[in-house]
Amino acid sequence: MRSTFNWGHGLRLLAIVSLLAAAAFPIYWMLVTSLTPSADLFADTPHMLPDFSRIEVFEEVFREIPVATWLANSAIVATGTMVLSIALAILPAYTLSRFRFRGKGALGFTLFVTQMLPEAMLVVPLYAIFGQLALLDTLTGLILANTAFTVPVITWILKGAIDGVPIDVEEAARIDGCSRIDIVLSVVIPLVAPTLAAAGVIAFFHGWNEYVFAQTLVSSQSLQTASVGLAGFVGELSTPVHSVMAVGLIYTLPAVALYLVAQRYVVAGMTAGSVKG
Amino acid sequence: MTESAPRNGRLEGSRWTPYIYIAPISLYLLLFQGYPLIQELMLSFTSTSLLSPQDSEYVGIRNYQDLIDASDFHATIVVTVVYTIACVVLSIGLGLAAALLLDRPFLGRGVARAAVTIPWAAPSVAVALIFTWMFNAQYGIFNHALRALGFASGHENWLDHPALALPAILLTTVWQIFPFASVVLLAALQGVSSELREAAVIDGADRLSVFKAVVWPTIQPSVALLSLFITIWSLRRFDLIWLMTQGGPIGATNTLVIELYRQGFVYRELGFAAAVGMIGLTIALVVTLVYFHISARAERAGGRR
Repeated sequence: MRSTFNWGHGLRLLAIVSLLAAAAFPIYWMLVTSLTPSADLFADTPHMLPDFSRIEVFEEVFREIPVATWLANSAIVATGTMVLSIALAILPAYTLSRFRFRGKGALGFTLFVTQMLPEAMLVVPLYAIFGQLALLDTLTGLILANTAFTVPVITWILKGAIDGVPIDVEEAARIDGCSRIDIVLSVVIPLVAPTLAAAGVIAFFHGWNEYVFAQTLVSSQSLQTASVGLAGFVGELSTPVHSVMAVGLIYTLPAVALYLVAQRYVVAGMTAGSVKG
Repeated sequence: MTESAPRNGRLEGSRWTPYIYIAPISLYLLLFQGYPLIQELMLSFTSTSLLSPQDSEYVGIRNYQDLIDASDFHATIVVTVVYTIACVVLSIGLGLAAALLLDRPFLGRGVARAAVTIPWAAPSVAVALIFTWMFNAQYGIFNHALRALGFASGHENWLDHPALALPAILLTTVWQIFPFASVVLLAALQGVSSELREAAVIDGADRLSVFKAVVWPTIQPSVALLSLFITIWSLRRFDLIWLMTQGGPIGATNTLVIELYRQGFVYRELGFAAAVGMIGLTIALVVTLVYFHISARAERAGGRR
């Protein structure tokens, strides 16, 4: 009996280790590749371990490739998307949670339908609209386009959190003479701060990762985001592979780090939003 | 004291208050989603070139007819359906396996749970970059591994091989999205009653029976919802596929969204592209309505708590 149990235990451990290895390997491989000299990348046997003596690669790429500009543009787009999404989502989330009104179902359905629209489909009409609004070739335009895709998700996640705030808290503030907007901003929002943080991270991610709009709605080199810059290197071997992988890693790590820092809240926010439907 | 509070404890307010609160988001979505969508729908009934969009010509349903008649388009639908179903099944299967493994306590579980979600946080463009390199015919680690294991050729050109490209894209996609499934299912597993589970074990049920009788009924609604989300995401996934294969070779990975983009930006046929988009959207809507229909029926039948 006992030995069977240990067998099972060992197998389970092996499965967990394999799972983690599979999940981490591509990121690890990006690191190893970035730290391997070009000649060795094309050798018959691959280097399996990172060579940290070549760490200056990560400094060099900033001189060879406009990585700093790319990252700055991505950061602006991501931050703008995050701020605008949250600003737009708070009141509708509160409304969906607290009010019964005609058209509530339609609003909920509309928010869901936006999740089905591919960016690639809307990019042509958006291009025309942005042309009229003088938003083409601006980072503001990218923020506006991205927010249209994030704000429905953020609204839904915040609504889930506000559902969990007891109405008594609001009634107490109401008796103290606060207006409803005051109540939402100073009473309800602080109580859902962790979910707000999660929503912010999700919107930031979307802006950081977005590719289609950044590729089509912006044409200036100086406004290129990291996703577009990096996309130019996919499957191409004329730029040194180790430099490209170094840029890829520099682009990936902030997203992964942010996610890991906020992980507890993101997971709680995502699952609350999705499990409740 | 609370005489002004309406039923079910809601705060008082003018009947217009909710509409004022949802006005900004409604206008925003109308301008940046609704209006473009209507434009796109109208475009799908025209012949319009990207080069001179003002010379748009109304052609009725001809774009749709041409699509329905084209055997290439049938292949696109098949690829889309295969890709979507495989994404759903494989991501949820792997996600469930991961969730079950990470559900029971062990040393370092917190770290393991965090680590397993890393792929989901990686940007698609970066994922396309590293996987394209890993799939490289001569220097990719997958072929290195195949050679090390003694496979004869070990020089498979994964992304440029009609039979291997779709599996390679699937592997990449599943790697990226299974963590989402595992996170959602891990949360769902917290709802499994430990008393019921223990009772089943005392009754002598083996692991599989416990899973079927106790675990599955609890997580089933989450699995259904995940299927819906992953279906919708798979129908609209663009970056990964476009950057890795552009739908090729010979259409092996050509999903609807890739076809839409190619029609619009390579062949510059905006009307045709719009028609492809509308067909994709219809499929997504039908799947969603079927899902809501089934889950509403399950709820009425008391199958869902």
